[in-house]
Formats: sequence, C-alpha cells, structure tokens
Amino acid sequence: MRVLVAFFTLCLVAVAPRPAPADAPPPKVVQVGGTVRGKEARVQFRIENAFTPEMVEALKSGIEITFRVRLEVERVHRNWFNVTVGDMKYAQSIRYDVLSRVYRFHRGGVDEIVPDLRHAVERMTRLEATVPLSGEISGGKPYRARVRVRLDQAGLADPLRTIVFFSSVWDVETDWAHGPLRSP
Amino acid sequence: MNLPVDESVRLQEAERTRRRRERWAIGVVAFLVAALTFIEAYLVASGGPVRFSGNIAIFALINLNVILVVLLIFLVSRNLFKILLDRRRGILGSKLRSRLVVIFILFSLLPTALLFVAATNITTTSIKSWIGKRVGEALSGSLEIARRKLNDDAAALVPLAGEAATLVGPETTAETAGEALRHMRTGQEDAVTLLFLRKGKLAAKEGKALGAAGNEILDRLGSLGKAGAEGGTIIGDGYAVAWVPAGGDGLVAAAKLLPEAEAQRIRAIKDAYAGYHQVRLLDDPIRASYIGVLILITLLIVFAASWMGIYLARRITVPVQLLAEGTDRVARGDLDATIDYRSDDEFGTLVGSFNRMTADLKAMQGNLAEAHASLTTTYEELRRRTQFIETILDNISTGVIVIDRHARIAMINKVAGRLLEVSPEEAAGSLYRDVFREDHYEAIRGLYREAGNAGGRQVERQVELPIGEKRIALRVSMTTLLDERGDYMGLVVAFDDLSQAMRLQRVLAWREVARRIAHDIRNPLTPIQLSTERMIRKYSEEHAGDPVFAECTQAVLSEVATLKRLVDEFTRFARMPAPQLEEGDLPEEVRQVVEMYRTSHPGIRWEFRAGEMPQAWFDPIQIRRALTNLLENAAAALGKQGCVEVSCAFDAESGRARITVADDGPGITRKDRERIFEPYFSRREGGTGLGLAIVSAIAADHGGTVRIRDNEPKGTVFEIEFPARPRGRE
Repeated sequence: MRVLVAFFTLCLVAVAPRPAPADAPPPKVVQVGGTVRGKEARVQFRIENAFTPEMVEALKSGIEITFRVRLEVERVHRNWFNVTVGDMKYAQSIRYDVLSRVYRFHRGGVDEIVPDLRHAVERMTRLEATVPLSGEISGGKPYRARVRVRLDQAGLADPLRTIVFFSSVWDVETDWAHGPLRSP
Repeated sequence: MNLPVDESVRLQEAERTRRRRERWAIGVVAFLVAALTFIEAYLVASGGPVRFSGNIAIFALINLNVILVVLLIFLVSRNLFKILLDRRRGILGSKLRSRLVVIFILFSLLPTALLFVAATNITTTSIKSWIGKRVGEALSGSLEIARRKLNDDAAALVPLAGEAATLVGPETTAETAGEALRHMRTGQEDAVTLLFLRKGKLAAKEGKALGAAGNEILDRLGSLGKAGAEGGTIIGDGYAVAWVPAGGDGLVAAAKLLPEAEAQRIRAIKDAYAGYHQVRLLDDPIRASYIGVLILITLLIVFAASWMGIYLARRITVPVQLLAEGTDRVARGDLDATIDYRSDDEFGTLVGSFNRMTADLKAMQGNLAEAHASLTTTYEELRRRTQFIETILDNISTGVIVIDRHARIAMINKVAGRLLEVSPEEAAGSLYRDVFREDHYEAIRGLYREAGNAGGRQVERQVELPIGEKRIALRVSMTTLLDERGDYMGLVVAFDDLSQAMRLQRVLAWREVARRIAHDIRNPLTPIQLSTERMIRKYSEEHAGDPVFAECTQAVLSEVATLKRLVDEFTRFARMPAPQLEEGDLPEEVRQVVEMYRTSHPGIRWEFRAGEMPQAWFDPIQIRRALTNLLENAAAALGKQGCVEVSCAFDAESGRARITVADDGPGITRKDRERIFEPYFSRREGGTGLGLAIVSAIAADHGGTVRIRDNEPKGTVFEIEFPARPRGRE
C-alpha cells in the first residue's frame, strides 16, 4: 500500500502542470470601470495579453476564438461583506473568413464584420457590457465591478481541443479583476 | 529453499490479503481519479455551457488512460520485481513464471513495437500528405478561383449598380427609388437583386429575396457608403455584390446570389482551405498527440500483455507449486496433504487427481498397515513356531539337515553342525556339496540313491563317518519331501550320534562285568587272606630265618589288599545308585568343592567363576563326586603347579546348567579322547580307569553329557552339561 501511494505521488509530481514560461506574460483584465445607472450598470474593461502568437496564428487560419466573460456588480461595504447586486455571463467570438477576407465578430446574436486583424484583436479585447441589477440601488454608494475572462477551449476546433490540455499557450484565463463604478 | 508447509500456507494467505488491499487501493484511487476529473471538468466548465462530448469526455479519457497506464506500470513493475525476488530466492515455479512473462513481453513487444513504428510512419506520412505543399497550392488555387469567380460576378454587376445609382438622388423617396430599381432590373437575370440603402438602412429592394445571406449583405453594406467612397464590391458565401454611392448618404447595390450547388461547392472549398490551414498550424501538436496516443496504446498493449503473462504464469505456476508442495508433503509421509485449488481446466483435473491419489494412498496405507499388522502377527507366529522348531531341533540329540530341491541347505541344527563340524549359520543357504566334506555328502548321495533304488521315500541306516581324526557311528534317516502334487521338494536327513549310547551300553556291560568280577573275586579273597594270615601265625617262627616265606606271605597279603581295593571300586561302580534330584544352589556346591581343593593343593591356582543362575535340580552327592573326579584328574595332570579354572554357567536358551573344568596341563591326545570315558581306561599310573566313567555315568543319570576338548593355549577342558530343570520339574 505504501509503495502504491509513493508511486502515485511520484506520478502526480511528474505530470503536474508546469507554470507558464516566464517570458509569456499572463493575461489579465485591466481598466475596469463604468457607471451604475438605474437598474443597470455599464462596465468597460480591457484584456491584456489575451492573444498569444499561437492564438493569432490560429485565428488567421480560420479557427474561431471565443472568450467567455463573467461579470459581477457588488455593493461595497466597508466593514461587512460585499453584496452582489447583479451578474452576467456572455461569450464573444471572432473568426476569419478566408473567402471574403474579413473577420467576423459575434456576440449575443449580433454579427459584425471587422476588416483586419488589428481591429479584430481590438474588438475582442476592449469590452463593454450592460449588467442588469437587482435589489435596491442606492445613489452615492460605492459599487464595483468584478470581471473574469477565459478562453473557451470547448469552442475550439476539434484537433485543437485534444492538445490544449497539454499546452499552456492556450491556457488563457484571467484572475478576477475589479474596478469602481460611478453611481449618481 | 523449501519452506515448511505451515509457513508456506501462512505466506500465501498474507499474499492474498495484500492483493485484496491492493485491489481496494486501486478502486479508491480510480474513484478519486474520477472524482477529480469531474471536479476539474466542472471547474473548466464553470464559466458557461460546454460541449460535453468535445471536452469532458476527452479530458476524462486522457486521465483514465493515464491512470490505467500508471496502474498497469505499478502492478506490472511490482509483479516483475516480485518474480525477480522469487527467482533469486529460488522459490518453486519462479523460473517458469519469469520465462513465461519474458516470452509474453517479447511476443507482445516485438509486433507492438513494429506496429508502433509503422503507425507512426503512416501517421506522419498521412499528416504530411494532408498538409503537403501541393494540397495547399491546390486549395489556395481553388479558393482563388472561387474568389475570382465571385469577384468577376461582382465586377459584372458594377455597371448595373452605377447605372441604377444615377437614377436616385438625396431627395429620392423609397417609392421612387423602388420604381427606378424596378426599371433598371428589367431584362436582368433572376439571381440579381437591386438594393437602395440610405444611412445604412434598406430603403428599397427590387428582385428575389436574398435569404440567409440578405442580413449579412445589408450589414456589410450598412458599414460602407461613407462620404467620399467610390463604391466597390463585396463577396461572401454564395453571393457577389457591387455597390455605388448614391445621393449623399445612400448607396445602390446590385447583389447576385449563386445557385445553391455552386454556393455549396464554394463553401466546401473554403472549409477545406480553412481546415488545411488549421491542420498545418497544428501539425506538430496533432502529430505529437497521435504519437502520444500510439505510445499510450503501445504501453497499454505491452503492459496488458505483461500482466496477462503474469496472470497466466500464476495460473500455471500456482497449481504446479501447490502440486509440488503437496508431493513433497506426501513424499515426507504426510498423506493428509490435500490441495485447495478449484478450476475447470486441466490443472483442476490434475489437482483433483492428486487429491484422489492422496486419499487412495491414505486408504492403501491403512490397508497396508492392517495387512502389515496381520503379516507381522503371522510372521511372529511363524517366527515363534520356527524358533520353537529350531529350539526343539537345537535341543534334541538328533542332528537334522533339510536340503531343498536346489540342493541347498535349508536348515541345519546345532547338533548336526557340531557332529559334522560345520557352522550352521554359514552352511544355511549354501550348496550341501560345498559345505560337507566329500565323504559326508557322498554318504548322503549314497543314501539318496539307495532310497531311489528302493522306490521308497525313506531310508534308514547306520553309518560310520570320519569326523576329525575319529570315526563316529551315526544312525542316519533320510526322508524325501514331496508336495501335494508329488513334486520333489527336498530331503530331510536326521542322524543320531550313537557314540554316547554305545558308550553307555559299554558302561552298563562293564558294570555287569564289574559286579560279577566283584562277586566272583571277593569270595575267594577272604579265605586267601585268612589262610595266609594263618600260615604266617603258624609258620612264622619256624621260617623266621627264611626270607622267602616272609616275602611270599607279605606279597600274597599285599596283592589280596590290592584286589580287595579293586573289588571295592568295582562294587562302587557296579552299584551306582539312581540320582536323588533336589533343587539347590549349584554354584555354591561347586564352589565348596573348589575351596576344598584350594586347601589341599596350595601349589595350584584354583579359579572359580559363576554367572547368573537359577536354582537347579541335581543330586549334590553325585555332582560333588563327579566334580571331585575331574578336579583330581586336573591336579594329577598339573602336578605341583598350574592353574585350574572352574566355572558354573546357565544357558537360558537351552535351559541347561554347565560346569566347566579347564586346566593348563599337558592335555589329552585325540586318540585317547575316544576311550577316555570308558571304564578301565587310564593313562595315569595307579589309576583304576573308572573316575571319568563314573563322571560320564553321573552326567547321563542327570540327563546330560560330559564333553572333552582342548584348552587354549594348552590343557584340557571338561564340560558337564545337564538340564537345570528336568522334565516334570519345570
């Protein structure tokens, strides 16, 4: 039994996921901000280091890249737990059309044609969303937005899905980032 | 190394327990792996809905495969290590097990390795062929042709769109724009549709519905038509559009939808091109993943084969080991050895046969034990009978020789051995002609021939055989043994030594002679003596000066006295009374006689030894007399000095008492020994020759014998032997 446990431990150590190489900066959400107005909050933010060179190459090859975004709006309490007053999840994707040589951006049933790669990356990483709020929204009180973004690996092409588990360059997932929301 | 049976059983039980624990551990680990996989997959999917088949299944399978391989590696490594250890320890069956495992590994490894190499090459070649330069060029060419075709279609629509644009202006209403478009479309093919957009929104449309592509066309056109734009073309899946700015914030577009079949073909080319580039992009990872999968499969096959080899080896060696241990136990005499192994294969049959065999052996052993006990009883009975017969034969005065059909001596008793001067132990089983002297077996053959000639089965004769330096008279009786079918079985030769009987006859005859002589001589002696004494009294004075008278009369008296003494001796010899047997201490009786002589003959060393002896029946007076005669003879033979050893012993086997008198004197010649017990035979000066005759008579009266033999290194040994408890006194 001890031998078995030791053996498995060694195996787990051997196959443990390695941290990303030091020269590949991790993706992160920055510039989170926005306003709370009525029963909704408009949140803007940007994703840095979201597209690795491999992802850009894959995008140019016609592979659809999808980001899944999770947004939460909290009422900030100084001496108590923050209370979530609204949250939403949505996905947005970008795909290159090799025939018409345009990028097609898709979000929530809305398609956009993006003329080139630069605009496509810009469109995917500079985001804005409207979060419906529930509960009583008090004016002048502090609110903040929490955002987290990750690459939807399940939405990748079939050949990619079998290897993304073993490749850290496709492991795009940010930590929670938060920023204040202005309230009237 | 052979372990004790109990230790071996204990180790097997411990091994089984360990295996159970191992299985539990494997089960728990597998469950944990599944749980962790689920949790991981859940965490991965926590951001939103996922395609289960495309994500979790792969992830779970990969984990499962890895775990399986890890488990297999562990189990196989552990078992291989154990086999190695067993082989080093020399445990039974380990060599066969290791051989089988190695064979299985090799048999699986070689084709699997070949398959792996071939599959890797095929995969690499296939991937290269899929993403080869020519395929890329072909796909690029096809896509370019499709694009050019769509661009050509779009370019062909530019004049129409331009012309239509001239018909609309900033103030044109949707209705008038529709009229203009309808006018322009007249004569055009059905696939062409004219559109008028103002501020990015559709204001008028003329032609067939654009279907699914309509929204895309309008979206794309909506983002165009900025101020200063000169117009252009756009193409998409199955459509070609030419647009021209019109009337400030408006534009006119001519759109053409391709036939569905053409559109499908273009989409297929586009998808193929995209797929090609994706594969090309993922060339190395895909190849690595394929090779990884192949490695995984190879490892699975190899380890599964190894595991199968270990399993099969165990299936083969475990029963073999159990059988070997069982056989060892049976060889050590443990017939309770049974093997607890059940299987429906040949090993099961073999083990069953072994268990039946041990049961049969045990039953046979029981039967054998019973038979052995019965045989032992029978043998003991036979031995007792044989011993009884041998004792009888050894204790009778008759010599008996049994000769079998092969002319070998089957039995010879002590008397026969002593008489014929052969050792019964050495003679038994030998050919009789090799054992007996020629004249002896010639006598036997002569008797046999005589019996054959007479046509009878038995012949009896008195023969005289040379034994040593003397000839002994024997009464020989020969009987031919035949079985119930009348077949010859052998001979029984019985012979009696007639020497003692003849000696006794002579003694008796001499006694009669002595009685008559004593009677006839005693009568005239007294008158002779009295007459001589009278003559001396009457004529002694007259013949005082005559020495002849005195000498003659004295000689007469002296000779008469001698004759009287001789007559007294004769009388005593003739009138020896029958022995009065009584129970007594024979050694003590003998010791007293020896002590008496120790006093009277101090120059001679008198030794006396007596062994353990029960009370014996004898006539003390006669025994003292016989012993006195023997000691007297010994003292006379030694003279002034020497050694006489007297011993008294009891032979428990024959139940006879033996008194031995051995001196270290000059000894007696063989010639004299034949007659030494006869009356009136004496080599001693002044001896009457009756002493040893009396000893012989006393021994005979006690139912025994007296024997004479040479002492070593010199001298003579006399032995008186008689039954310590005569018949009727047991």
